Amino acid sequence: MKLSTQWLKQYVDLDQSPEAIEEALTLIGFEVEGKRHTGLPELPGVVVGEVLASEPHPNADRLSVCRVSIGPGEEQREIVCGASNYKVGDRVPVALPGAVLPGDFKIKSSKLRGVRSEGMMCSGKELGVTDDAEGLLILEDRPEVGTPINDVFAGGDVVYDVEVTPNRPDCLSHLGMARELAAYFGQALNYPSLTHALSPEEETTRGRLLDDVTVEAETDCPLYMAYMVTGVRVAPSPEWLKRALRSIGLRPINNVVDITNYVLHELGQPLHAFDAAKIGGRNLVVRHAREGEKIVTLDDKERELAKSMMVIADSAEPLVVAGVMGSVDAEVDESSTDIVLESAYFRPGSIRRTSRRLGLSSDSSYRFERGVDPRGVKYAAQRALDLILEIAGGRIEAGEIQVGEEPVFEQEIELDFDFVRRRCGFEIGDETIQAVLESLELTVARHETRDMGYRWVVRVPSFRSDLEEPIDLVEEVVRIHGTDKIPESPVRCTGLEGEDDFQVVFNRKAAEYLVGRHFNECFNYSFRSEAELNKWFSRAGADSLKLSNPLSSDQSHLRWSLIPGLLDVLVLNRRRKTGGVRFFERGKCFREVEGEVMETNAVSFVIFNPGDLRFWKTREPADFFTAKNIVFHLARLAGFDLGAERIEAVPMCDSAWQEGHSAKVGDISRGLETRMGMLNFALLKEYDLDGTVICGILEILPEKLEFVPPRPVFRPFSLYPAAERDIALYVPREEMAETVRIKLEEIGRKATGDVFVLEEVVLFDVYEGKGVPEDRKSLAFSLSFRANDRTLAEDEVNAAFNKIQEDVSNDTEYRIRK
Amino acid sequence: MEKELQSILERAKLGAKAVATRADLEAFKARLVGPNGELTRLMKGMADVPKEEKPEVGRRLNEGKKELESLFSGLLEGIELNESAARLGPPVDPSLPSPDGGPGSQHPLAQVREEICSVFRKVGFSVVEGPEVETEYYCFDALNTPSDHPARDLQDTYYLPESARFGNVSKKETERYLLRTHTSSVQIRHMLKTPPPVRVISPGRCFRRDTADATHSANFHQIEGLYVDEDVSVKDLKALLDYFIRTLLGKDARTRFRPHFFPYTEPSFEVDFSSSHLEKLGTDWIEIAGCGIVHPAVFDAVGYDREKYSGFAFGMGIERIAMILFGIDDIRYFYQNDIRFLQQFAR
Repeated sequence: MKLSTQWLKQYVDLDQSPEAIEEALTLIGFEVEGKRHTGLPELPGVVVGEVLASEPHPNADRLSVCRVSIGPGEEQREIVCGASNYKVGDRVPVALPGAVLPGDFKIKSSKLRGVRSEGMMCSGKELGVTDDAEGLLILEDRPEVGTPINDVFAGGDVVYDVEVTPNRPDCLSHLGMARELAAYFGQALNYPSLTHALSPEEETTRGRLLDDVTVEAETDCPLYMAYMVTGVRVAPSPEWLKRALRSIGLRPINNVVDITNYVLHELGQPLHAFDAAKIGGRNLVVRHAREGEKIVTLDDKERELAKSMMVIADSAEPLVVAGVMGSVDAEVDESSTDIVLESAYFRPGSIRRTSRRLGLSSDSSYRFERGVDPRGVKYAAQRALDLILEIAGGRIEAGEIQVGEEPVFEQEIELDFDFVRRRCGFEIGDETIQAVLESLELTVARHETRDMGYRWVVRVPSFRSDLEEPIDLVEEVVRIHGTDKIPESPVRCTGLEGEDDFQVVFNRKAAEYLVGRHFNECFNYSFRSEAELNKWFSRAGADSLKLSNPLSSDQSHLRWSLIPGLLDVLVLNRRRKTGGVRFFERGKCFREVEGEVMETNAVSFVIFNPGDLRFWKTREPADFFTAKNIVFHLARLAGFDLGAERIEAVPMCDSAWQEGHSAKVGDISRGLETRMGMLNFALLKEYDLDGTVICGILEILPEKLEFVPPRPVFRPFSLYPAAERDIALYVPREEMAETVRIKLEEIGRKATGDVFVLEEVVLFDVYEGKGVPEDRKSLAFSLSFRANDRTLAEDEVNAAFNKIQEDVSNDTEYRIRK
Repeated sequence: MEKELQSILERAKLGAKAVATRADLEAFKARLVGPNGELTRLMKGMADVPKEEKPEVGRRLNEGKKELESLFSGLLEGIELNESAARLGPPVDPSLPSPDGGPGSQHPLAQVREEICSVFRKVGFSVVEGPEVETEYYCFDALNTPSDHPARDLQDTYYLPESARFGNVSKKETERYLLRTHTSSVQIRHMLKTPPPVRVISPGRCFRRDTADATHSANFHQIEGLYVDEDVSVKDLKALLDYFIRTLLGKDARTRFRPHFFPYTEPSFEVDFSSSHLEKLGTDWIEIAGCGIVHPAVFDAVGYDREKYSGFAFGMGIERIAMILFGIDDIRYFYQNDIRFLQQFAR
């Protein structure tokens, strides 16, 4: 909101500097977003002078030497001047030594061609008031000699652009802000006085201009007031009014309209003036619009109205979208002579909905939707009538028409001053608290209680509906007393049980691990497009992730995976030739599981193996097993041992993965899911990535991370050597090695019994081809046996190993390779 | 005899210098201790040694033999070491770059988040998580936000369709799902399950329906803090934020509390800071956080005793702080993930 200092000065004596006012506004809660000087800036040291004599300069043809009076009691000055448009006796602005003119032009006493000049007589341009640089600015009105030039040109103003928080509609006006500044600076607040008092008795004569005013939408419009003025002279506004409106960026229109705008910005109450002649049927009705009803608003746009919207209509059609904007049809213009002035209280919610729905916000709707002062409705109308009579003339007819009642506002808060001090945490005296509250026009009363004590009761004025309970008053005290008075103190810190959520701990460990493995962390958007989702999944399952109000079609869905974002990162880095190939991301993803969406805690990484890698020495490129190793490790950091889980191929519906080079463990429906391996070549082609991409995903439901990992308990181990035996098996080619290994482990455990243990079965060779039967592959395992209490003897190991070989031959379809 | 032995040993020592390979060694051994070797021959001459000298000569010959054997094993060790070294190939050029990948890096936003968390951990806060998809209740209602508050507008807040069903984000009633606009919702969830006293911070991703530009991003990150205990005051709030800002921005940093408005705190403030760091940027004060005393209505919503307890909450944008700390002028850098950007923060 724009605030003019000159305007504010009508209600409070602001002699503070613009900087001090700016700081005050900021410190009492109105952030200053901009500050603009207009008109003549503050120019100390520039005064009105009179040329007493002028003589040619002894050493320069074009210069003259003047004797200038700068006020009674001041010494006359000798000033060298280059202008010629003045005559002796003229009054002109004189900048005395020490003055600084716009453009940082410092005035000094100096010699010009051998003659001392004690100041400078100024042109309009030098002062910044006109564009005339030709000669001196002759002050035709002949102001008193010695008058500061700022008093002659009162147009100088500083306009602030302040942010008013939504809880403070009372400050959407100059008077409201003046009240705040007056409270802060400890000064008096002067309300504009009313001269044309209205006498309610005249109400009987109602009906001269209007036969009737009815309010049908009484819930949304609890109070509607109308006033009639006849014989108005609609004309351009006087200069002061135009200047006031212009200072806050408004365009003057005509005196009546300008007055309604002026009062809106003065008191915060929106008003509307109708041309009485344009009210059809001499009737005003406040009603809801009919569905599809049309109106051309003042911004020249035709708007279709809906039932929920309130309008002010005559007997035929809507004239105003209530509280939002008038129509071109009922505007007051040069031809108007009789007007009807409206001042009303509209329910904030109603106006807000209408304004949003029409996409139309105005100074008026902005205030109504935040809530105007119910008790200010009448005062604002009277203020406007006062100005209309003064500026546009006319006669008030038939007193006032009031439909409905002023919404009741009764707010009394019992305030324990100790409560204020406790919440503040520092000492503030009773008198200070009382003074602060009273400076904001709250009424503070001290009531004696029966037990010889007393209690404070604070009565809240109708424009402060934001003040509801004691804590609200604490804020007022802190605000006006000054936040700079909050003392410094040490941090209050007592021991408290509680650890970081394990989800937080895991995510931190995951990042540290991946960073240690040369990955760079990325942050991508949580939104992806529908087209991409369909590309990644052959089925259509996108609807459950769809936002109802996306900003754009490429950000229409919640992300279901971190991999597409990471691919974008690979593509960007590839295009920019940065050389980045290893990236990871942590973040929330969203997965549909049986008709419900689950929010998951995900970690994913990608490794790009460029097809055109050139380096003096190359390693084997990352492959499926690189991804598997990382994924399994990440899972361990989360407390899950994937080695104990079944690993299987990625289902065909997830077409992003390269068949035969990718796998998954777990399923999100059970709380944890991983995928790992190589991305599909066809997909990479679409991303224009020439090479292979290895990646991994670990997704865990957050609720599965709500635990404190148990502290490990030490288990003693054997100090005796292990005995090892190797066995090679021909197994079906499609059999998973892990299945074979587990089977071998089971058989082995049985064979050793309780005497000693088969500690480990490790696969060390995979072979198929020459010498291996068709459809089979050879898997070679090393078995290690160990006892807790002794070195194992050859024969007991051999016995166990023979038993294992026997059982494998008898109980499995595997054949032992001899 | 003794003389001969000495001469064999001396020649052997000289000859050893020429032994470079296993073949050399074999030939060398054969020359000395082979069937026709010099020492073998000498030993064969034992038969001719007078009986009384035999023990002494025998001892000397044995000593000589041992000396040669240790010479051989020394030579073998040397050969083996040479062979291992030879298998390595030519010496490396230590200035060549390693093919094993450069340093990894945590994202600057993650680093700043972690740094902020650490500062608060030191004074007894723990870190809690909450869902990004939220409901109107946790994001607005419980936070004392009126039902017609503009923050709830479709224009500002992302909603999910009425039909959306979330398996692991609980709803209060039948309210709509949305993407949280602040992490204050985590405080509500935390207070609902934890009795006071409470001291937590909740970092996380938030969403606002903003078109991306240099200072806006549709998703961004916040850290919210909550402190509830008996008689917590504005003074305590200032003490904590002063401590935080000085730890993060230097001992000379100062704070300024500007009264502001948030529905869930009263009084509410925006916090500016000023430090010598900023003078270079030509500005006095920079906004860094919002905060206030928790509104009693919020305590009512979570079942805390509003008479007994009071508390404060604060929140700040991680992007904003990262931009201040690192001198980044456009928020979009954070979401492009150009490795030249990410690597600047590798540490």
